[in-house]
Amino acid sequence: MSEPERSDLTKRLLELAEKFGQIELENVQVAVEELILQLQPTLATATRGVAALQPPAAKPVDRLLETEFVKPVEVYPGQVVEVQLGATRAEGGTRSVAVRIGGARVPPFYSFEGANPNKPAFAMDVFDMPLTLPKAVRQHYEGVMDDPAAWAKKCVREFNADIVSFNLISTDPGLKNTSVEDAAQTVRDVLKAVDVPVIVGGSGNKQKDPVVLEKAAEATHGERCLLNSVSTDTDYKRVVNAALQHGHSVVAFTPMDINNQKKLNRLLLDAGLPKDRLVIDPTTGALGYGIEYSISLLERMRLAALKGDPELQMPILSAASNAWGAREAWMKTEALGPREYRGPLWETVTGLATLMSGADLFMVSHPATVKVLKGLVDGLLGAGETDQKIEDWITAIE
Amino acid sequence: MEIGEMYEGERIRKPELYAEFGGLDVPRKFELVLVKPMEEVQHGKVEVVGPDLSQLQVGGAYPLGILIEVAGSKLDRDIEGVLERRVHYFTNYIEGVMHVNQRSDVWVRISKKSYDKGMKSLSWVGRALMLLFKRSLPIVEKIQITFFTDPAKVDEHLREAVKVYNARDERARGLTEEEVEDFYSCVLCQSFAPSHVCIITPNRMGGCGSISWFDARASSNVDPKGPNFPVKKGECLDPVKGIYTGVNKVVQDRSLGAIQQISLHTLFDHPHTSCGCFESIAFYVPEVDGVAIVHRDFKGPTVNGLTFSTMAGHTSGGTQNEGFLGMAIEYLRSTKFIQADGGWKRVVWMPQQIKDRVKESIPNEMRELIATENEVKTAGELREFLRSKNHPVVEKWKELEKAKEAQTAREIPPETLPAFVPAGLEIPAIGGGFKIILKNAKITAERVIIKREDSKK
Amino acid sequence: MTEKATLLTVYKLLPQTNCGDCGEVNCMTFASDLLERKKTVKDCPPLVKDAKYKVQAVKLAELVAPPVREITLGVGERAVKIGGKQVMYRHDLTYHNPTAIAIDISDKLGDTEIIDRVNRAEKFQFTHIGENLRLDAIAVRAASGDAQRFAQAVALVAKTSPLPLILCSFDPAALRLAVEQKGVYERKPLLYTATKDNWKDAGALAKQYSCPIAVFSPGDLSVLKALAKTLRALGNDEIVLDPGFWTRGGLLKSSVENLEMLRRSAIQKEDKDLAYPIMAVPAVAWIGESPDPKAAAYRESYMASLLLTRFADILIMHSLDVWALLPVVTLRQGVYTDPRRPVAVEAGLKAVGSPNEVSPVLLTSNFALTYYTVANDLEAMGVTCHLLVLNTEGLAVEASVAGGQFNAAGVRELVTSSNVETKAKHRKLVIPGLAARLSGEIEELTKWEVMVGPKDSSQIKEYLDKFWNASKTQ
Repeated sequence: MSEPERSDLTKRLLELAEKFGQIELENVQVAVEELILQLQPTLATATRGVAALQPPAAKPVDRLLETEFVKPVEVYPGQVVEVQLGATRAEGGTRSVAVRIGGARVPPFYSFEGANPNKPAFAMDVFDMPLTLPKAVRQHYEGVMDDPAAWAKKCVREFNADIVSFNLISTDPGLKNTSVEDAAQTVRDVLKAVDVPVIVGGSGNKQKDPVVLEKAAEATHGERCLLNSVSTDTDYKRVVNAALQHGHSVVAFTPMDINNQKKLNRLLLDAGLPKDRLVIDPTTGALGYGIEYSISLLERMRLAALKGDPELQMPILSAASNAWGAREAWMKTEALGPREYRGPLWETVTGLATLMSGADLFMVSHPATVKVLKGLVDGLLGAGETDQKIEDWITAIE
Repeated sequence: MEIGEMYEGERIRKPELYAEFGGLDVPRKFELVLVKPMEEVQHGKVEVVGPDLSQLQVGGAYPLGILIEVAGSKLDRDIEGVLERRVHYFTNYIEGVMHVNQRSDVWVRISKKSYDKGMKSLSWVGRALMLLFKRSLPIVEKIQITFFTDPAKVDEHLREAVKVYNARDERARGLTEEEVEDFYSCVLCQSFAPSHVCIITPNRMGGCGSISWFDARASSNVDPKGPNFPVKKGECLDPVKGIYTGVNKVVQDRSLGAIQQISLHTLFDHPHTSCGCFESIAFYVPEVDGVAIVHRDFKGPTVNGLTFSTMAGHTSGGTQNEGFLGMAIEYLRSTKFIQADGGWKRVVWMPQQIKDRVKESIPNEMRELIATENEVKTAGELREFLRSKNHPVVEKWKELEKAKEAQTAREIPPETLPAFVPAGLEIPAIGGGFKIILKNAKITAERVIIKREDSKK
Repeated sequence: MTEKATLLTVYKLLPQTNCGDCGEVNCMTFASDLLERKKTVKDCPPLVKDAKYKVQAVKLAELVAPPVREITLGVGERAVKIGGKQVMYRHDLTYHNPTAIAIDISDKLGDTEIIDRVNRAEKFQFTHIGENLRLDAIAVRAASGDAQRFAQAVALVAKTSPLPLILCSFDPAALRLAVEQKGVYERKPLLYTATKDNWKDAGALAKQYSCPIAVFSPGDLSVLKALAKTLRALGNDEIVLDPGFWTRGGLLKSSVENLEMLRRSAIQKEDKDLAYPIMAVPAVAWIGESPDPKAAAYRESYMASLLLTRFADILIMHSLDVWALLPVVTLRQGVYTDPRRPVAVEAGLKAVGSPNEVSPVLLTSNFALTYYTVANDLEAMGVTCHLLVLNTEGLAVEASVAGGQFNAAGVRELVTSSNVETKAKHRKLVIPGLAARLSGEIEELTKWEVMVGPKDSSQIKEYLDKFWNASKTQ
């Protein structure tokens, strides 16, 4: 056979093989002048192809190699200040206990490199008027939504809230436009009803809130409340002055922007607010709706604080109840399972994500969230019975 | 008359126009801020020299000079440019007034609607400007505004204004790092790059191109708690690379330890970090041992095959990347432009648009030697181009060649092969495998099967 | 501190001939691809084939290798990569390779039950922000104690599903029986696990079949490290670390500490012995006397979520309840979003409520957070309108106005492509307050009348009440 004929034949054979997948030739004779077969070392599983090439086997090992694990401990030049919420009788207030938050010296739950002085605290949401709440939440507050004092009491006594977060939403001109005096009175009522610290929130109306908070501050003189909140485009000076005059702390709220947060903190400190009377709220995105922004923001802020940035060395607030804004938390969709579990779990995971990123203070709506997260905090700090033997989890799980 | 940020983008079209000042058909116009001694400024005075709005013809175009005289105990003449830039923003906040450009290019339009509503005099504009200046810049303690609409007066004051503009630019270009005690720092972009700290000197502008040493100084005075603050130089460890102990200390502090030291005027040895908003990138082209420049607007791959945005991705984020430097275009005009790397003698390629823009700053003898996208597209072509022009970098090539040869000549002992080869790297038989060689053979087979290798199992 | 991988340091280890065999125009571009993890060292033919580059090829592979090894489990379309982490905190860069979630199957179940469970695991999916969230692998547990049964169960699962497999047994003999089956070893299953008692046999098995292998040393990091180091010396390169995970008490604390220490050792201390992906088993929440299934699933769900925030690269879960898996896959999606690339929704015209031709037309950016905030606010306030969503490349209004992505030309294009002019009779567009500076330009280009709305969407209702109904009559 001539050269061109040979290569033609090869081509034709390959074409047939390509087309039919397999061809068989019988009684074949191949004559070669020189044929070189190159054999490469491969591993047993030729079917898988790409293999890692190992150097010639090291000398056999018959016992575990000696090695030492050294704990990678870091030392941090900075720390977060502690903020006290609530004043006891001895301190000029009427709370039975004060709650301290913040003070972190190491990243959250990096307990191998140090201990942080305070456990995160949990505040539950109370409103000064009934409002539409997802069923999973509402069912716990039927009967008390008309009475903020009763609502607050229930949160503390039944659901173990450390703090009450009381929101004066009815002051919103678009809702009831309640007067600041009336609003201040309800704050007094709530304070009388419970003996835990109270956070006082406005309605979110930027013009009215500073006035509302100012009046509320006056009405609660000496109680070390937390005024919620100020931002760069509200009359923060008014609120800071009220805080200074009446002994309260202030929440500095920014919409997920670390530079804005630093700027706001700076402005507040310049206006005279002491560093340990400032709580940061950088916005908590709901699970599925921006939670990762909050996670990274908190991690960045906490690390910056520990590395020495004085503008971020304040405790952080996480409004985990924002989770209820997510459709998945309240939708009645069969295919997504019962919302009685889905809802609280949504808030819990939202809160948990911020807990693990450094949040010191939480605002939540559902009792299950408080229970689970408080239990989790205790576990993370080493308290409680060590459970199951997991050494044989393979057979231990049913 | 309403004032507010919501009016910033307001446009006034010809049919709605009451009158305009400046613009394409009017050659004489200016706006000027002058810092004067306290006693020379009559606070609150607004004057219109020449015809006022009510005396003008509807739809007409007129010359205009805006002179704003300010005084304040903390003000000095260097802040004039910063204040002048505010005129643009403040004027636009006024409902019915549109302001475009700056200096002797200024163009202002007044709307019919605002005129009809009662803004019948430029003094209203003056009063609004005063209000805005006082509100946002408390260091401006006294302010006086004069509007010149009399053509002769506009001419007269325009001549003076141009002198002032030129003097400012001269001053800005003439000042050197050696002559000042303080540099300034900017941390505006730290939101995006937490370890990034910009050091601004008279010879090195901020990477974003918006903040000169004068601007930073002014801003630092206006808002000491703001993003700009003074940096004491400290001891100069290397005047060519631009390494200062004071600078390093501030960078260490502000980057929370992420960056230990920076050099101000080089792509190598701890180059200055960038955030992400820089105007241009200087990058090392190893094939020719030269430095190329590319700016943000340049579309498509540069001479090294990468686009601006790809390189920006590697250069940004506050990291130090040897061989890549994010910078302001103005830095090309600096007398210390990458002086440690050879300055313009090391530049081998840049876009035509930028070459034209900074023409006067390129040394005469280098202008023809630097290639643009019109002359070469690849590093290979660039090499040829540089060789043909006998660009200064060509000298170095011979040295580099020799060094490389010397290195490959050295035998690499087998022990340097790491004990363990990361998987995923398919390395053919190293000392393994064997060959079977058949010569003059006849192979007989009862059956030969040719099977197509299926990728699916 | 070893050398950092940058464009130049990577370039220096390439052939620098600009031969183009990799498909790129030159070596610098290939260097960029390597850094962006678009290509691997293998994709440079000269480096692979030419003996003179062998040393630098290996150096380069080490230079660009992430501090946590990337391992591929399984084969084919459903193969999943785990590990490959570059940083400890996502804000330092991004997290690569979303945590793989495996569902366990006990070999004590009957064949039908096994098939059913496999199918349910495969079918699970949830679409969120345009992404399909699914489960990634099946872990077969040798719970029966019968090696034959285990092997059968494994073979059955392999036959039923293309999902990657994890073979779970502490007995290397049982693992061997299972792995050696046709249809199993070809699937590159993860062998779980080597321990201080069985590492020799387990390690040899893994090496023989080139399978990734886990090392398990609950609560003891020194032994874990020794196991990893020893297996590596024996020629195993693909290792997964399981330091053990307890869900309560003092050991929950140390579990979390161990995860933190392991990851920090790999990334910040560059400990080569521990440079491997981490596995955690939140399914241990199910261990106990007759656990209440709802309580156990609830607990497992939030524990798995916790593990997603603490460096787990692969999880084994037990629950298949949708409500329990939903938060986990949603959190995973969020955490693994690249923070450098803003999340965007689809641009276009959306209807809020049931708008008609006199309803207001509002404009916003396509940054997911902005869009959802605006949409939620509008819905909550009962506003009915047409909402034009502009493609601002996923940037919020303020940033995109400053950066130029939010521009008048884009708005004009959106008005045209969305056909909003057939949906609304009027020509009034409400733009976000933060885009005020573009009002004139937008008017010019679109020929619509522009109304500058509030800066914050929570004030839209108030704004519309004040300004919309009034102007409507004009």
